Amino acid sequence: MIWLRGLLGRRGGRLAAAGLGITFAVALLAALGSFLGASKATMTQRAIGQVAVDWQVEAQPGADPAAVQSALRSGSPVTAALPVGFAATQGLTATHAATTLSTGSGMVLGLPPGYQATFPGELRHLTGSAEGVLIAQQTAANLQASVGDMISIARNGLPPAQVRVDGVVDLPQADSLFQKVGVIAAAQPQAPPDNVLLLPAAQWHQFFDPLASRRPDLVKTQIHARLSHNLPADPAAAFTAVTEAAGHAEARLAGAGLVGDNLGAALGAAREDALYAQILFLFLGLPGAVLAGVLTVMIANSAGPRRRREQALLRARGATARQLLRLAAVEALVVGFGGAVAGLALAAGIGEAAFGSASFGASGGTAAGWAVGATATGLVIAAAAVLVPAWRDQRAITVADARRVLGRPHRVWWMRYGVDLWLLLGSAVMFYVTSRNGYQLVLVPEGLPTLSVSYWAFAGPALFWAGAALLSWRLTDLLLSRGRRVLARLSRPLAGSLSGTVAASLSRQRRILTRTVTLLALAIVFAASTAIFNSTYRQQARVDALLTNGADVTVTESSGALATPALAQTIARVPGVSSVEPVQHRFAYVGADLQDLYGIRPATVTDATRLQDAYFTGGTARQLISALTRNPDAILVSAETVRDFQLSPGDLLRLRLQDGRTGQLVMVPFHYAGIVKEFPTAPRDSFFVANASYVAARTGNPSVGEFLVNTDGTAPPVVAARLRGALGPGVRISDLTTSRQVIASTLTAVDLSGLTRVELSFALALAVSATALLLTLGFVERRRTFALARVLGANPRQLGGFVWSEVLVTGAVGTLLGAVAGWILSQMLVKVLSGVFDPPPEHLSVPWAYLGVVAGLAALGLVIAAVTTIRAARRPPLTVLREL
Amino acid sequence: MTAPSEAAELIRCTGLSRTYGSGSVPAVREASCTLRAGMQVALTGPSGSGKSTLLHLMAGLDTPTSGTIAWPGLDGSPFARPGVVGLVFQGPSLLPPLDVTENIALPLLLAGYAETQARERAGAALHQVGLDELAARLPEELSGGQAQRVAVARALAARPNVILADEPTGQLDSAHAAQVAELLLTAVAQFGAALVLATHDLTLADRLPVRWEMAGGILVTEGSYQC
Repeated sequence: MIWLRGLLGRRGGRLAAAGLGITFAVALLAALGSFLGASKATMTQRAIGQVAVDWQVEAQPGADPAAVQSALRSGSPVTAALPVGFAATQGLTATHAATTLSTGSGMVLGLPPGYQATFPGELRHLTGSAEGVLIAQQTAANLQASVGDMISIARNGLPPAQVRVDGVVDLPQADSLFQKVGVIAAAQPQAPPDNVLLLPAAQWHQFFDPLASRRPDLVKTQIHARLSHNLPADPAAAFTAVTEAAGHAEARLAGAGLVGDNLGAALGAAREDALYAQILFLFLGLPGAVLAGVLTVMIANSAGPRRRREQALLRARGATARQLLRLAAVEALVVGFGGAVAGLALAAGIGEAAFGSASFGASGGTAAGWAVGATATGLVIAAAAVLVPAWRDQRAITVADARRVLGRPHRVWWMRYGVDLWLLLGSAVMFYVTSRNGYQLVLVPEGLPTLSVSYWAFAGPALFWAGAALLSWRLTDLLLSRGRRVLARLSRPLAGSLSGTVAASLSRQRRILTRTVTLLALAIVFAASTAIFNSTYRQQARVDALLTNGADVTVTESSGALATPALAQTIARVPGVSSVEPVQHRFAYVGADLQDLYGIRPATVTDATRLQDAYFTGGTARQLISALTRNPDAILVSAETVRDFQLSPGDLLRLRLQDGRTGQLVMVPFHYAGIVKEFPTAPRDSFFVANASYVAARTGNPSVGEFLVNTDGTAPPVVAARLRGALGPGVRISDLTTSRQVIASTLTAVDLSGLTRVELSFALALAVSATALLLTLGFVERRRTFALARVLGANPRQLGGFVWSEVLVTGAVGTLLGAVAGWILSQMLVKVLSGVFDPPPEHLSVPWAYLGVVAGLAALGLVIAAVTTIRAARRPPLTVLREL
Repeated sequence: MTAPSEAAELIRCTGLSRTYGSGSVPAVREASCTLRAGMQVALTGPSGSGKSTLLHLMAGLDTPTSGTIAWPGLDGSPFARPGVVGLVFQGPSLLPPLDVTENIALPLLLAGYAETQARERAGAALHQVGLDELAARLPEELSGGQAQRVAVARALAARPNVILADEPTGQLDSAHAAQVAELLLTAVAQFGAALVLATHDLTLADRLPVRWEMAGGILVTEGSYQC
């Protein structure tokens, strides 16, 4: 108790500083862990929310749909099941005045009463009535149809059926609605049908029951089911529960129905995203907690000489090893518990402030679990920082040795064996090995329901962390031990004629300085790598949205419409529009294969939309697009087309396109120029990109398929609404903001920036602590030295020379090493975590503003430490010496 | 030879008092004395009699609670004016991160000497105390006697007019104590600096012509010079 009172009374500041390091570690672990738990639960809920129809059970030929429905209803976890009819039509026709418009083949669905109330996400009402005969938006555009118009439905071998349109709807889940139930993903249709009508069930049966008896292959029934959403919070567990239920359902149906498990598919994607979130926690969060632990150990070690002297005094006066360890244990417990409690409070505060929930939204159990784990980690760090050195010193060091203040720094063993270099080499090797499987972190073994993480991928960055830390140590030690001349020159402006003495002093204290510099460098590495990764991720999220939508707003003509380039001027006049880029969209036959063809204006398309080099092979984006200018008949094709037709650059490729004058297919020659893998608005499929002028000249058809519209800063949804008003229902208009919401994965849905917000704040705190705290503590331990110098006649300015030189060396060397290592690690992280990005980035995005704040605050911390020390040195030296 | 009473005044104390705590601990009471050029004074008295406090006041390291102190021969207080007064302390006073040569050269550098010149004089002072072979050693690598000899060399390096030594042999054995004392007295005699040496060692005190004795913070003088 006496010892504890003395510690708290005389060394309270140092205990608080060590406790601060533990506070950081505990708070970071508790915050990130709780956030991770909450994120997983959010991912599960979001995945569930994104699915309109949980199961689509297709009644098999010969099966009674009513029996299938009854069987489903009777088993858990189905809470609702309704039958939906699917009938194939050869086409739809609409007549306006003297004009008749017809579509190609399509689908007609029969919806039972209450369908929209049961599955509200399947249909989005646009205009007219929400009940009755509904026409899909794209179909309405194709037929130029609106509410009240008559539509004729072609029925194979039967007279067409006539219906009057009551309303126009959008089908946001068309891909899953029109899936082929029971077939693998590769056999699914490339796109849902463009032409869809939805009829009330009674009317549908009236029209298509006769067809079903003649052509049962054209008519089928699905039972759409909703399940109980009382699922485990973890996506992997929820996925297992749902897929098992689907298996049981199929077993119960005994071949009468096949289950299309939409909910299982969504949860499957979510569990993959959850694994990535876990990986991100490990890659981005764990280093921060380790750094905080290292900071704690270094703070404790900065008082090592004094602790060893105190131990030496106690040993000289008869204290046993057990007694010494008990005293050290008391200190460790005080620091550990105090730091842990403060850390948990800090984590709760951050949760409340940043996420509105002290537990970050995690369940009570999850948050409590992480709190206990984080506290245990804090106690382990405290033991490592205080107890272990005490145990080691009392075993290995004599009383005389313990009284040494500095000692002659000797070469540590790992430097002799080049451990740092071996670690970096190992990192490079592991990085290369990981790259050979395309940086696949989350492994989905064929045919197995489980996912696993390739933990080998962690090895590269982990080894780099360790290697960079040791190399920073080595380089700093080298500078301080062999670079006295450099140090003297650097400190001359600050110390004048004392620069030699200053350099000598820095050199002799290199063990302490090297620790501080290394920790500062690592804090900068942590801050830089986390911030760059986060910024690059946000950059790619926007790129992905641009790839899908093409530009801020995209105006797409209905197929068959003849929109002239002059429409661009109409669009350009709409307020908020800054530029309009027309893009042709045709269909071309290569052999028997029909592919999309996009005709672009090579000179201006790169201004309208963002093209990454990663979208192309055989050259950069700029090179290949320029090739379309230099050689108007050049064409970019898919890799699959190159393989199928054994193409080499410059090879002739003949495509058949529809001539605008005759309506017939004509042969148009092109020359293969390169591979295009992705293109804004293009499907994830084979397609062509060619010169629009050449295509127009050869086909006699200059019509435009879509216009890429960029705004002047006005929000894209606002401009999109204005364009809808200006252009009418005949076009489809999409905007970037809406597209991002639609394409967002569950990983982006939980907002990765939430995770990195916590980490970036800690990185900032760590960088400032590594500088201000460690330096200040180091200076405090040297109060006696400064007081003696004052007694010998040093004035505060001369003392300042010592202090500012140390600050300069620490700041400059630490920042330089941290910046270099941080850049390398950022590149490595982005490569290894490339599975998180869609598409992969061409270059890193550097958040200079944040890094500037980190550098500025760290520099401020250094300045405060120096100013505080110099001001303290102004105190009467005898007073200081008496206190010591 | 200049008569003692005619030698220039270096430090003059008039009615000096210094109390600590809220005036409850009088370390020095109404002390009056004058240190003249060339004077060699032994300052004796039991532990706690105020010897160190008086030396600190004379060195300008402390401020008197009452009374006045002047440094007519030193152009003002020697505090923060390195090399004006040479100080030798009882306990360890070398700066840990500097080696022996750097420790000795430090006051010279602080006084504005060029580095080369400071190192030369430090080397000479180290030679004077017979420790050339320890030039590159760190303070923690020295024995007590060696460290004290280095401290003496540091005090002598700037050839100050006044040397104030506070129990310089207090923590040494008799052999080393005699060594250090001999060094001090020889060097002082060589360049004529005034010396005030606080000591318990009466044998050493007897070697100095002037005796100032303190008891309970009060200064009593003795010897051939009047204070």
